[in-house]
Amino acid sequence: MKKILLYLLMGLVILYCLFPFFWTILTALKPSDEVFSVPVTYLPEKFSIENVKNVFSKRPFGRYILNSLIVAGGATALTLWVASLIAFHLRSLDLKKATRIQRWLLIGAIVPPALLAIPFFVVLAKLMLVNHYFGLILSYTALNLPFAVWMLHAAFRQLPKELDEAALMDGFSPMGRLFRIAMPLSRPTLSITAVLVFIFCWNEFILALTLMPTQLKYTVPVGISMLSGASVYEIPWGEINAAVALTTIPVILIIAVLQRWVIEGLTTGAMKG
Amino acid sequence: MKVEARRTGLIVTLLILLCIPVSASSQVALRMIGPEDIGGAWAEVIRNFHEEHPDIKMNYISGPWSTDERQNMYIRSFLSGNPFELVYMDVIWTANFAQRGWLLPLDSWFPQEEQEKFLPGDIEASHYKRHIYRVPVRSDVGMLYYRKDLISEPPESWEEFEHLCRTTSNPPERYGIVFQGMQYEGLICNYLEYLWGAGGTVLDENEEVCLETRENIEALRFMKKIIEEGWAPRSVLTFQEQHSLEFFEKGKALFMRNWPYAWNRLNHSPLKGKVGIVPFIHKAGQKSAGTLGGWGLGIAQGMKHPEAAWKFIEFATSANAQKILHMKRGAVPTRKSLFDDTDIQKESPHYKELYKVLLRARPRPVHPDYVRVSAILQKHVSAVLVGIERPPDAASAMDRSVSSYVQGKKLNWFRRLAVDYDLHRTVKNTLLFTILSVPFELSLGLLFALILNAPLRGRVMNRLSVLIPWALPTAVMAMAWQWMFNNPFGVINDVLMRIGLIQEPLNWLSSPQGAMFAAVFADIWKTTPFVTIILLAGLQSIPKELTESLSLDGAGFPKRLLHLILPMLIPFIRIALIFRVIHAAGIFDLIWVLTKGGPADSTRTLSLYIYDLAFRYDELGYGFFLTLFFLLALILTSVVIVKTMTLRYEKVPR
Repeated sequence: MKKILLYLLMGLVILYCLFPFFWTILTALKPSDEVFSVPVTYLPEKFSIENVKNVFSKRPFGRYILNSLIVAGGATALTLWVASLIAFHLRSLDLKKATRIQRWLLIGAIVPPALLAIPFFVVLAKLMLVNHYFGLILSYTALNLPFAVWMLHAAFRQLPKELDEAALMDGFSPMGRLFRIAMPLSRPTLSITAVLVFIFCWNEFILALTLMPTQLKYTVPVGISMLSGASVYEIPWGEINAAVALTTIPVILIIAVLQRWVIEGLTTGAMKG
Repeated sequence: MKVEARRTGLIVTLLILLCIPVSASSQVALRMIGPEDIGGAWAEVIRNFHEEHPDIKMNYISGPWSTDERQNMYIRSFLSGNPFELVYMDVIWTANFAQRGWLLPLDSWFPQEEQEKFLPGDIEASHYKRHIYRVPVRSDVGMLYYRKDLISEPPESWEEFEHLCRTTSNPPERYGIVFQGMQYEGLICNYLEYLWGAGGTVLDENEEVCLETRENIEALRFMKKIIEEGWAPRSVLTFQEQHSLEFFEKGKALFMRNWPYAWNRLNHSPLKGKVGIVPFIHKAGQKSAGTLGGWGLGIAQGMKHPEAAWKFIEFATSANAQKILHMKRGAVPTRKSLFDDTDIQKESPHYKELYKVLLRARPRPVHPDYVRVSAILQKHVSAVLVGIERPPDAASAMDRSVSSYVQGKKLNWFRRLAVDYDLHRTVKNTLLFTILSVPFELSLGLLFALILNAPLRGRVMNRLSVLIPWALPTAVMAMAWQWMFNNPFGVINDVLMRIGLIQEPLNWLSSPQGAMFAAVFADIWKTTPFVTIILLAGLQSIPKELTESLSLDGAGFPKRLLHLILPMLIPFIRIALIFRVIHAAGIFDLIWVLTKGGPADSTRTLSLYIYDLAFRYDELGYGFFLTLFFLLALILTSVVIVKTMTLRYEKVPR
């Protein structure tokens, strides 16, 4: 009896969490006149991919995706590179000192991005990097660095000290030790950090909005939020839902494949903060 | 080591180089932003221009319909140091852009005798401090369209208008009037016509704010009456120009307040020949006035080829180009001579009438901070129309708010904190949002974590589903929520009606409480998973033996929750709480996409205000100052949370 109740509750929780996502997909698959039918139809009477096609043909949605990929990909690579340098150095300090440095770094991570928009904009405008991919990549790197350092530091710490000694004997430079030994050995952590940082960058909104002001540089979230028609009645809800579905499906797939590590990474990341 | 360092240095250099665009073309490239080029008028002007000047490449960038958005695009481009070369600007931007030094004075190219060939109001509004900064391309004035076939004598006064609405309109088939009621600049154009029509004004001769007046209250009352009596459909509160036109075009209203461009479109609709224009209505005994609008071209300061830009301006404001814009786009010319032009008179016989209205058009207050003043007015006019502010309160709030702003700009930032009306309002909203959302997120998160921690089948699947809302982009899902809360097509109203919780569809996003509820609801959905994940980790850290021994002692679930689980979870709850409070207070993307802070500022939070200060009102410094304060407040809050939620055993040094 108690079990059944629990399953029932679980079902409700899942429905609650997934409903908006499913609803988006269902709307995206409706032909445009059915999107605007009253009363609402729950399962599309006719499936159509008209909306998906329109998103790409009528609007530069492909371009938005490309922008997002460039920025998120670039930021992920840069973050991992810088973070592993920092984390590797932290590893050579004693644990207490390293933890204290990390704490300070993490204070930066907790600031809501909305408050960082102005300082970032001012600095990047001075550097003439507003509306450049590199400006946004730099900002995202700054934003995600504390988290990445934390993850990598934890992983590097677990490597046995004997490895260093062996490497030293073999004549590895410190950089060589990082790139040829520490990083390959921490591949699982590296990849999960990469995935999480990528998702954070893919999802980020306010910095993308302020630092990439022209339409051809919009990332996917900004592009979607700017989708509009000539009037309230013409807001292309079918297309918007198609765009939303297209943006969210890859994220869900990644999470689905890596869910165990994602949860672990997140909890550890949040806990130490 | 050295080799590695050199190699990495090389990679960085390459990366940086890759990101700097290289342009190598001898052609001068110019850009301007305008609305979508429906009818292809600009395309034709530009094509002709290219034929004459093959060495200049002109790009017309199709911006959004909303003029506010286009203004933001220009401001951001100025601030970024790489402005769009040609500034296609609304009358009201001129003073501000010029004051900021973003525009090139055109005096040498555009002398007095040339200026006199244009309409006087447009030229007057193109000046700032005795210099001219733009050449008018198209003029605009607000006026009243009426159905000639249904109304024999068009109204002049409010009273006549009221009488006609009561006798001739028949809602919902045919309403009295449609206008622009959304919270944006267009609303102020409408409002000013009522204010002027009542004999009021925003700034008196001494540039003093005078809005706490009988005239202002009367104007607001009359506008409110139009909505409340149902002379206008409630949906005008979401209308801009285009929406009102579409509504009127379907024959669903007797009158429409709109700009001259509508005439062209109406003449290609079933209403052809059934529509007349007159100056806008006024209070008996007062004079009517239309708001002057209009667009013109200016040159951004600091670009490399101002002569090329001037060539385009000269071309685009020539009689020929204005004629193309008129024929294809319905733009009202700014050259006086064109009103006698035979082609134009043939196309638009009503221009004789229009010319008279144009000569009587009144510009909006010419003030470098007009945009901000207007933003304040918008908020209160909108609040009156939505019904969350009474006209007398609104009038005094407007007066206080505008004067506090005009004064506040003169005060230092610390003093300004005390008088900043917007600040107080947005702080209140931020607190409300945080207090409404965080407790729910924590309790719901705890509940989810407890359920997920129960030994059920399919744990992997369950966790995955709960994780999903967290992983999806907030801004994108805000769009999905906007769709679900839509009225009448949204699924939420439908579900609630099916299960009988509500009888009629609710206007979620266009009522203040509804919008706040929607925002809180969407935020709870989005962030509960985050809390769940953290608390789940906490639950798993509780040793099984403890739980078991407590159960053996006969402690039921409530007892275990109270005496074991919650105390053990405190460190986890604390972290979740800190994160959630900070991020709920700093919320931006969800609200910006879902409601834009509306209706009538009821969901505008501090982050939105700071964003507006920095990127719309051009007060980067003050915005930054508020950011620092906000940050300080957040840090203090976290410290308080940590102090009050630390258990005794945790204080023991480890």
